[in-house]
Amino acid sequence: MAGSSTKAMKTLSDPLVENNPISIQMLGICSALAVTVQLKTALVMGISLTLVVAFSSLIISSMRTIIPRNIRIIVELTVIASLVILADELIRAFLFDISKQLSVFVGLIITNCIVMGRAETFALNNPPHLAFLDGLGNGLGYGAVLLSVAFIRELLGAGKLFGIQVVPEAVYAAGYENMGFMLLAPAAFIIIGFMVWIQKSLRQ
Amino acid sequence: MSDTMRSLIFSAVLCLVCSLLLTAAATGLKGYQQENVELDRRRNLLKSVNLVAAGGDYSAEDIRRLYDANIAEIAVDRSGRVVPAGEDTGVSLPVYLYQTGDAIQAYIIPINTRGLWGKIKGYMALESDGATIAGFTVYQHSETPGLGGEIEQRWFQENFVGKKIVGRYGDFVSVSVAKGVADTAVPEEKQMNYVDGISGATLTGRFLTAGLKDILETYEPISVQFRGQRMLRMPQAAEKKTQP
Repeated sequence: MAGSSTKAMKTLSDPLVENNPISIQMLGICSALAVTVQLKTALVMGISLTLVVAFSSLIISSMRTIIPRNIRIIVELTVIASLVILADELIRAFLFDISKQLSVFVGLIITNCIVMGRAETFALNNPPHLAFLDGLGNGLGYGAVLLSVAFIRELLGAGKLFGIQVVPEAVYAAGYENMGFMLLAPAAFIIIGFMVWIQKSLRQ
Repeated sequence: MSDTMRSLIFSAVLCLVCSLLLTAAATGLKGYQQENVELDRRRNLLKSVNLVAAGGDYSAEDIRRLYDANIAEIAVDRSGRVVPAGEDTGVSLPVYLYQTGDAIQAYIIPINTRGLWGKIKGYMALESDGATIAGFTVYQHSETPGLGGEIEQRWFQENFVGKKIVGRYGDFVSVSVAKGVADTAVPEEKQMNYVDGISGATLTGRFLTAGLKDILETYEPISVQFRGQRMLRMPQAAEKKTQP
């Protein structure tokens, strides 16, 4: 029993840092560039992706013995797409302002390689509880990177955190200016690049 | 049972389950979503006359109260005549009036035009002189984020405030999106009819310019009445429409 709980723990924690979907596996970069201008959108996106990948892994894993091999990719996509549409509907009903900012990117979770990748490589070969934890771990790993990038971009680009002004007026009066560049997609590229660099050098 | 048969049955069942689930979700949440869309529309209408600040925090209740207190909805026909509530003439154009007391401060025209990738919907508010733009907002569009999508940004929309839809001699010319910064891209005597364009989004600007011209031209008869000071009070004929 002890062995299986360590395995569960490892399944959950491994993708957080050690095997992070963005900084190590280089998956899901596109949406990471698009939704990290503000912490709020990054948070909602991180939560949505975490829920989608956790539940799609869970569902696919519980059906893994009955899914016909020849149509498994289509089945995976159907499950993922249904969950994504469900998430999108919920966000539009209860978080309308954020849904306008996230625009197409919630829908694009369907094509996010992380979800498909976990379903194909992990969920199809592992029992449901492990698949669920694996999905949860990967989603949280993705969300953690998104939040770190958004933290830097919102702080330097707008002087705010979660929409609240944190850089005091006095600093602006002294000649400090927000970095407009941080609000553009290339800034996210550079930040992610630095994160990958630091993480890879630390691992050696 | 053959493999093919098994795949077919499996996919049929899966599709059925998924579609039932999604239909249930879409139907169940429709009410909330429509309410959000309606609230967002009203918020934008109020924003075009500066009754709510961009980026400000307003509850649904605030929006409803501000809307009910300040905005009246009337309809005009193509000749600019106010169509009395209840009378159906076939063609009637909606106009929203922003009034304090019974004096009209501004009139708001709904914008619904073609963009590069899809519809652009918003509001243009004109001051009661019938010539000066009081505000412009966009609440729905499908332009490219970061390029044409900038039309939803505050800098672009605030760009319109104070611009004129008439030329120097009071003739109708509409308002256009310049290619680049209006101050350098167009001659000085025309600058009052041009707003700064978005770099990298020339086509969005061109579609918006054409759409605005079309819409403002359609509404020109009512604008003429405002310019002639004939629309200073709430028209009697339409009064009923403010009380839904």
